[in-house]
Amino acid sequence: MGGYGDVQLLRDDGTRLDGRKVDEMRPVTIEAGVLPAADGSAMITHGLNVAVAAVYGPMEAHPRKIQRQDRAVIDVRYNMAPFSTSDRIRPGFNRRSREISKVTADALESVVLVERYPRSKIRVEIEILAAEAGTRCVGITAAAVALADAGIPMRDMIVGVASGKVEDTVVLDLDKAEDNYGQADLPVGILPNTGEIAFLQMDGDLSPDEYNLAMEYNFKAAKEIHEIMVDALQRRYQGGEA
Amino acid sequence: MVELVPALLRQELARLAEDDQRLDGRGRWESREVSLETDCLYNAEGSAKVVIGGTVVYAGVKFELRTPWPDRPTQGSLMCGAELRPVAGRKYEPGPPSPQSIELGRVVDRGIRESGCIDMESLCIVPGEKVWGVMIDIHVLSDQGNIFDACGLAAIAALRTAVVPAERFDVGEDHKLQVNGTPIMASFTRVGGRFVLDASEQEELGGDERIHITLGDEGHLHSLQKGLKGVFTPAEFAEIFDVAQQRCVELRNLVSKVEGN
Repeated sequence: MGGYGDVQLLRDDGTRLDGRKVDEMRPVTIEAGVLPAADGSAMITHGLNVAVAAVYGPMEAHPRKIQRQDRAVIDVRYNMAPFSTSDRIRPGFNRRSREISKVTADALESVVLVERYPRSKIRVEIEILAAEAGTRCVGITAAAVALADAGIPMRDMIVGVASGKVEDTVVLDLDKAEDNYGQADLPVGILPNTGEIAFLQMDGDLSPDEYNLAMEYNFKAAKEIHEIMVDALQRRYQGGEA
Repeated sequence: MVELVPALLRQELARLAEDDQRLDGRGRWESREVSLETDCLYNAEGSAKVVIGGTVVYAGVKFELRTPWPDRPTQGSLMCGAELRPVAGRKYEPGPPSPQSIELGRVVDRGIRESGCIDMESLCIVPGEKVWGVMIDIHVLSDQGNIFDACGLAAIAALRTAVVPAERFDVGEDHKLQVNGTPIMASFTRVGGRFVLDASEQEELGGDERIHITLGDEGHLHSLQKGLKGVFTPAEFAEIFDVAQQRCVELRNLVSKVEGN
């Protein structure tokens, strides 16, 4: 976590700089089927974050050495657009995006019924168009909706959410200032129906009690976001477009 | 190896062309619906989203402070690049920028640059020391044909709505980027033996060469590009040039309308 110091992140009345309560998440909207070229897609706005996910496949796995005899491989690319951050990012992969791509793939492989598609590949492309903290979680949520939109069987959805700590207080869903100047960040990928966790990272400093509270907030938020995900898919398929 | 699907598709496109028809029922000079949205991305100093049929493109403008080139001490710079990432379609693969994406970025870049809509002198802060570098990045998210027009439109719309982040860099107050003109691109693809406006993905797959024309506000040419294998006649160019004039006026009006809101 960045420099914890002089920046005041909580107001005297206990609310946060953007007026949210400690256990309140930023507004989330999701739309499914936004990219006609893809087999499945979703766009999510989460606070000021904007991300899209596209799914292609299942398709033949190339090159052959990546094939698995008993299951599909999930090939995830998480990428930030050059204009998605305050300072322009040079196009191309970096260590951060490679790591996020990998752990996202690991998480998605835990929910997709990969054994249904041996020797094939499912491509998941996550593009961050505007970043305001929490993009890896936003990407996971978008990817889950895009996978469902592509008709790929999953044993549950997966919801990306994060809690953290600012000024010794556990808060849900860090915004940019809280992420930069806070004390901890706990992003997770939660399976809303089974209550399992398929994605977990953390950095900073949390006591066991603070961890428990942060996780409680995460589960609460996952439930809320899950409803928005389901609603997006229902809106997409109620018109009979499928 | 003969690719079976394009061979059959080409036959079908040629048959349709004989009756002056297109696969999706459009007229030869008829575009799919074009929608434009600006100021849609936090963090980009200018941004635009363009949807043409099933093609979806975003453009974002960023600024950086840099030292001017020694031979042009009072001029800032403009750069426009396009990324055709794997998100855009099944046919796109990860890797370094493809020749295709470089061509795309450069054609859009030339149209904007050569129209003179950005006065490079206006990007100077301290001669010889500090100038603005303006970067337009184009992100293609869904390619269902005619990404060139979508990219050209997104780029100029993002640029026209950009705000120079002077306060963040401690060099004065934020102000609107000065843009004198709205260069617009119109693209034509040879399908079934004749040129059509705004080719779809299928038409591109079973079609031949393409011609991109960028016109300024006065109808002057600022950038031309012929892409892919094929030849055309001056008479053919004259015909599409007339259509391009109309098309550019329409899209320019769309930009004005969106800006006015």
